Amino acid sequence: MSPVWMVMIAVLAPVTLGLVTLWLPRTWIERRMAIAVAGPLLSFILLIATAINVGGPLGTGGFGQDDGPGEHAKPQAAAVEHLTTGVLNWMPSLNINFAFLTDGLGLFFALLVSGIGVMIFLYARGYFGKAGPTSADDLYRFYPTIGFFTTAMLGVVLADYTLLTLLFWEMTSISSFLLIGWDRYDKKAVKLAMQAFFTTGLGGMGLFGGVLVFGNATGYWRWSEMLANTSELQEMMLSAGDHPQLLWAFVLMFIGAGTKSAQFPFHYWLPGAMAAPTPVSAFLHSATMVKAGVFLVGRLFPVFAALPLFPQLIIPFGAVTMLYGGIVALQQHDLKRIFAYTTVSQLGLLMTMYGLGAIKYAHGDHTLAAIDFDVTQIANHAFYKAPLFIAAGAIGHVLSRDITQLNGAFKKHPAICGTMMLAALGLAAVPGTISFQAKELFLYSIYHAASVNPWLWLVMAMTIVTAICNVAICVRVWTTLMGWKGGMTEADGHHHGHDHHHEHAHEHGLLANLIWLPGLAIVSLQFLGGFFPGLFWGNLFGAFEQPATAGNYFGETGVPNLWYVITHAFSSIPFWCSMLALGLGVFVGLSKLWRGTVKDFADNIYPAMYWLAVTGGGRCFRLVQTGNLTHYLLFVLFALLTGFGWSVYEDPAMWSALSLNSGEAARFFEYWPGMLLGLIVCLTAILIPMTEIRIVRVVFLGACGFAVVALYLVYQAPDLALTQLMFEIISVILFVIVLRLLPKEKSTKDTGKLWRVPIAVAVGLMFGWMTLIAVEGNRGEFSNPGAEPLGVTLAQHSYGLEADEFGNPVLDTAMSKDPDVGTRGGGGKNIVNVILVDFRGFDTLGEITVLGLAAMGVWSMLPHRRRKNDPKRKVETDYPACAIDPLEHQDAKGVTA
Amino acid sequence: MSSMILRTANGVIFPLTLLFALYMALKGHNAPGGGFIGGLVAAVALVLYRMSHGREAMGRLMPIHPRMLVAFGLTLASATSVIPLIFGLPLLTSRAPYVNFGVGEPVHLPTAMWFDLGVLFVVIGVSVGMIVRLGEEVDES
Repeated sequence: MSPVWMVMIAVLAPVTLGLVTLWLPRTWIERRMAIAVAGPLLSFILLIATAINVGGPLGTGGFGQDDGPGEHAKPQAAAVEHLTTGVLNWMPSLNINFAFLTDGLGLFFALLVSGIGVMIFLYARGYFGKAGPTSADDLYRFYPTIGFFTTAMLGVVLADYTLLTLLFWEMTSISSFLLIGWDRYDKKAVKLAMQAFFTTGLGGMGLFGGVLVFGNATGYWRWSEMLANTSELQEMMLSAGDHPQLLWAFVLMFIGAGTKSAQFPFHYWLPGAMAAPTPVSAFLHSATMVKAGVFLVGRLFPVFAALPLFPQLIIPFGAVTMLYGGIVALQQHDLKRIFAYTTVSQLGLLMTMYGLGAIKYAHGDHTLAAIDFDVTQIANHAFYKAPLFIAAGAIGHVLSRDITQLNGAFKKHPAICGTMMLAALGLAAVPGTISFQAKELFLYSIYHAASVNPWLWLVMAMTIVTAICNVAICVRVWTTLMGWKGGMTEADGHHHGHDHHHEHAHEHGLLANLIWLPGLAIVSLQFLGGFFPGLFWGNLFGAFEQPATAGNYFGETGVPNLWYVITHAFSSIPFWCSMLALGLGVFVGLSKLWRGTVKDFADNIYPAMYWLAVTGGGRCFRLVQTGNLTHYLLFVLFALLTGFGWSVYEDPAMWSALSLNSGEAARFFEYWPGMLLGLIVCLTAILIPMTEIRIVRVVFLGACGFAVVALYLVYQAPDLALTQLMFEIISVILFVIVLRLLPKEKSTKDTGKLWRVPIAVAVGLMFGWMTLIAVEGNRGEFSNPGAEPLGVTLAQHSYGLEADEFGNPVLDTAMSKDPDVGTRGGGGKNIVNVILVDFRGFDTLGEITVLGLAAMGVWSMLPHRRRKNDPKRKVETDYPACAIDPLEHQDAKGVTA
Repeated sequence: MSSMILRTANGVIFPLTLLFALYMALKGHNAPGGGFIGGLVAAVALVLYRMSHGREAMGRLMPIHPRMLVAFGLTLASATSVIPLIFGLPLLTSRAPYVNFGVGEPVHLPTAMWFDLGVLFVVIGVSVGMIVRLGEEVDES
């Protein structure tokens, strides 16, 4: 199997198998789960196979850790070439094709998504249960939807074409909207889902703009092209003043990444998204959706880090998000909200990490980027946050999600609480978890970067405060669940969360334990990594680290082990910073400080924006849509006049259509019947506005129309005459009917109408002029010298198609003598019809659509209000048609029936 | 509006007019006519029938709602315009083959004819639908 198909199947497997489950009977819960889980599992296996493949990060040809920073551009381009799959053409002209970039970052994310996906798919069975009133229904809907989301997410991280990434990016927004608004009948949940959708959708617009600007500025529409030309692009970045497009591309893409990854002040959607069922929260907010922004920044990092704006923009946003999320998380009571805000905080940290990576510090005789093992950071977060959410959802099932209600819960539910407590150790970055090493690495980043820019000590302070909050939360979780002294109790206030709460009867057996087992499986990676960083973690994740970031401080050892950090760190500032945070964190966790709840002020941002958009939009709408037909008409005519005036100004040769040579002037009176009819048309047209009585106006209008019919006949256009005749008949009938329905005419004389006369005259003259131009197109010195009159062009081209194609005789006509003409045209002799169905067939299609819409308007504005008019009932009555409308008769029948 | 004379005459006029409308629509590509005019002629015939025979008879003659005609016509026209895309040709590309049925002369059967028939149905549906609906409103007021 070629790599592109392998990855393609891996991407599509979750949604495909998810959809397959729709055909299973609703009661088949176990089989449904088995099929659905096979989706991400298949992806996982295929992606591992891709990674091991020659050229993949785990293969021989890839660039792993052993590529030093001094690597030259040439081998790197070749290495990138190795990491891309083949291309399946989709829309080559628009630069959207199916190709996948299976480099370390992308594959790592894909494995994370599919691996945690498997766990979440299993957990969903435990969470939604079997016996609940809506369990079967929930699971029926859940697997296809989350499969869709998984596919979208895999697409984001693997797509090689920038626009393909964007496409999947938008799909994650849509599918997460469906997942967050899971309780379809809960208005609050739907509102929160919309909040998330609009916020991330706004970011999607930013990403779209950024991708387009970047593509236009550089001509690169594939991430692999971007990575292969790193040095060239970095040159451009360094002189960003000459390439403002790159600056804008970055800013726009950062808007996309920042909203998706919940950066302050757009973080509000993430805690709001807690309205979703817990499997969704655990999946979206630990490993996938919110990491998409981090992924994007990681994708841009090797190239865009050279941009001076990169750290200047990312570090402040990231650091503020980190601090704000930590402080708010400390003062929440709902477990899911606590973990949501720590997620916000952690996302800020990850962003800051990439921002710091753009800063180069002096290291011996060369400079190094202040970033190390970014993939470890990202994986670490997923491996404690997913179990935290899983356990929070599980405990919410059996007891409550309010931490003040959970004092001593460990004795009742040791498995669930144990999982949560182990995961909380990861949150606090206690030594022994990989989280500890990750946080150490982050502190080292700040430390090294601060040696270049002292302002970054501020970030160090913010990090310590954030770490204190995280440790305090961990301490509270432990003391509360164990029922120790210092735990949270009901005395700390009761908070009523309005979130998805799923009830079902308590179950036993392996399947029921799926409510906590996946969490335990994931969190075990934390401790395996923490205790065996080289043997386990390094071998597992080392190969996925980006060459630009791996091994900057601990290049020889890989991710440092616990012993190394402790023994080598006694003299280092970062180690003491983390010890300070641990100590103060335990103190804050046990103290009575900050135990209440706070409201996040950012929760008001979206409602305010919504209000502004709705009211502002309403104002604008009422400004443009006055509801007055006269205004609309004036607007259209004004636009028409302006457009025509502009074209006359641009092309003075149009004046020549108005000139009349003497020969034509002499023949003027040869056409006296036409002249006479024309006069009648003008006369009736002028008479129409003279009267106030509607029916008289209709008569004048009809007279005008019939004079035109006669005009057509005089000039030998029978079909036009017939069309016009039929049209006149139908419009007169319609008018007569409508006039009877209109209210009584007002007799008040409207005097403000005089200014409409010049407009009417101008429009009339303009149309006359346009007709003359169309007919006399070849006269004068037009800008297009070879131009023929429109009529001649149409006549020549209307007939003479390659009638030979089906082996049929070519009709011999004067028109098709011209060999050039034979390849064009509509193949019909009736010019009018050929114009209608061929030359401007698209126009006709639009016109009949408009006709249908107009009729639809009549039918919807005048619905059948009275049941007795239902034709089905009328068919039964069989009295003869008569002049008197038999309504009353029918009424009597209807009553007796 | 209804009179014995009109009703009797309409017995002959109505089918002939419809036939003429169809002729117009099919013949349109090479001779005076076309879907639009055919639709208008048929609509006038139907409206005349409605006038002479009344609403009940109209309901029997056309048991479906006119919007079905509009929907059918629009579908036909859109399908005709989209089908060339399947063969990699631009939208609305037309072919004008002469089909030999074995009897008589080869018949000019342009693909645009189907498009034109779509126009025919839309025009009939819209005209008849509007007039009949508004006429009902007049009857009831």
